[in-house]
Amino acid sequence: MRDALCATEPGIGLVIQMVMLSLVALSAWLVLRVGRISLGQQAYFGLGAYTAALLTTVSGWSLGEALLAATVCGAACALLLSWPLLRLPGLQYAVATLAVAELVRLGLSGWRYQVPQPNGSMAGPDGVHGFRDIRWLFDHQVGQTDYMVLALLALACVVMALLLLARTRLGLAMQVVGHDELLADSQGLPVLRIRLLATTLAGAVAAFAGGLYAHQLTYLEPAIFDPMLGIHAVGYSMLGGLATPVGPLLGAAFDLGLLEATRLFEGWRMVLFGTLVAVFLRWRPRGLLDETLLQRAAELWRGARARLLLSSPASGQA
Amino acid sequence: MDFLQRTLDGLLEAGPYALVGLGLTLGFGMLRRVNLAYGAGAMLGAYLGSWLHVRMGWPALAVLPCVVLAAALAGPYVQWLCFHDTDRSTGTPQRASMTVSGADTREVVALASSFAVWMQLEQLCVNLLPRHLNPFPDFASNSEWALGPLGLRPDRLFMCALAVLLVLWMTRWMQRSRTGLALRAVADHPLAAHLSGLQVPGLQRLGFVLACGLSGVAACAVLALEGQVTPMFGMWMLMKGLAAAVIGGLGHLRGVLLGAALLGAVEAHAQNLLGPLGRDAATWGLLLLALLWRARPTLANRSGGLHA
Repeated sequence: MRDALCATEPGIGLVIQMVMLSLVALSAWLVLRVGRISLGQQAYFGLGAYTAALLTTVSGWSLGEALLAATVCGAACALLLSWPLLRLPGLQYAVATLAVAELVRLGLSGWRYQVPQPNGSMAGPDGVHGFRDIRWLFDHQVGQTDYMVLALLALACVVMALLLLARTRLGLAMQVVGHDELLADSQGLPVLRIRLLATTLAGAVAAFAGGLYAHQLTYLEPAIFDPMLGIHAVGYSMLGGLATPVGPLLGAAFDLGLLEATRLFEGWRMVLFGTLVAVFLRWRPRGLLDETLLQRAAELWRGARARLLLSSPASGQA
Repeated sequence: MDFLQRTLDGLLEAGPYALVGLGLTLGFGMLRRVNLAYGAGAMLGAYLGSWLHVRMGWPALAVLPCVVLAAALAGPYVQWLCFHDTDRSTGTPQRASMTVSGADTREVVALASSFAVWMQLEQLCVNLLPRHLNPFPDFASNSEWALGPLGLRPDRLFMCALAVLLVLWMTRWMQRSRTGLALRAVADHPLAAHLSGLQVPGLQRLGFVLACGLSGVAACAVLALEGQVTPMFGMWMLMKGLAAAVIGGLGHLRGVLLGAALLGAVEAHAQNLLGPLGRDAATWGLLLLALLWRARPTLANRSGGLHA
């Protein structure tokens, strides 16, 4: 991922990349939300990217259908893999997700499936050389700006959906499970099933991001899905805050927008980012936007509104 | 005969793996946290060694203690930044932190921050020496002993012997000496250790520094045979160490030897069958299997602590 993360072009490319990384960070956030850490969300990102790319290049599907299929594929894989893994305790789960992600990456590196195209060239994944010529956007003349708007819309939809989810009973149950597993269990919540649901959703989000990314980049290398991607995703969530889905976006915007785009810290970006995350977690273990901060903000907001409501009839009488 | 030769080569590879896994398993036993910055700390030491060797022209034998020292010094830094909450002697680490934000959350935070420190240290190394290959004092020998039809590299054999001796000596020290007893008490039950008058935070720090120093020893031993250090070294150390330690049962010192031997042999055969990709896949696959195997309900209650 180091290449993909550091070789950002300014402008539209950077925005699209930020959207992708935000989506992966959201997927890591979903797992963190239920009290587990997954260092392997890049696996679903990679699977989604390969699925979507295969469907548009080889099977001739449209982008929308391919993205949908990639999302479903990511969810299904996440469900299948989480089933045995979620029985492991927290630490072992984290290492196991990393192992699974590396196995997926090595599997994709070893996968050759070349299909001749009408114009004589070959399409499909080619082992360690990756998957080249994902030309759906060129062939259908979708401009970079349109694609950026599409990606931003998709991100907004995901964030809105997660915000809405947090307000439901299910969202609350997820929060309780993440906060204290024992407490949740003693209240009769199905802890394992709630975690399965969260990891499945996380897989779907990551795979969707992968599908989007594959078509923007037009080529895929298995090296893109190395552990650094998963680490960044977790880092963004932890930096931004675990209390709201806006947290991961904040983290991604901070790292890419400030540190990478300004190129102020050439070569020292990783040092700075690593220090920042570690120092931040030392004193603020739930990130910048944690529950306490949100609660305070909500109280302030409620207080201001109450004062506004109180003062307006008074001014009306005067 | 090829099969035997490959198994033998794999078993000889186990020496480095056991050395790498020893520090990791000791660190885990002390704090019940996996230190993901483990490889990066050793790598920092190794880069410093390479820098002293190449830029300052230090002799090879003077470089090696510096590597160990630097790796050991990385320990307190990592512990202060990532594992500061484990030394609450008012209760077991789990209980004390549970009241703050849930038991798993602290573990999650420690993992994430040690990962962040890993990235930080790795980038520091690369900034120190930007080239991909950096020379390290070389002690490898190209001679090969013949053992009937089988070939045997004496330097690898020496490394295996070193690993076995070190593990056995550590085990003995843990079982026999008073410090070892204190360390085991702290690892088993910090609250009980605290109530018996042991300085829990100090002992945890000692154990952790010891573990990081061992990672420096492992780095020296591995790199002295390679003759060079690359930016991939931190990842390599963590991966192999984690695999060997987990297969051997995290926190189990002698188990590391067994885990390393299994890992080495399986990797050698996987490489033969499937090439370099298969070798990496074998490491991760074995790690995954070991994790799932260890999580069986019958074994779950016995995990944690430090065993000789």
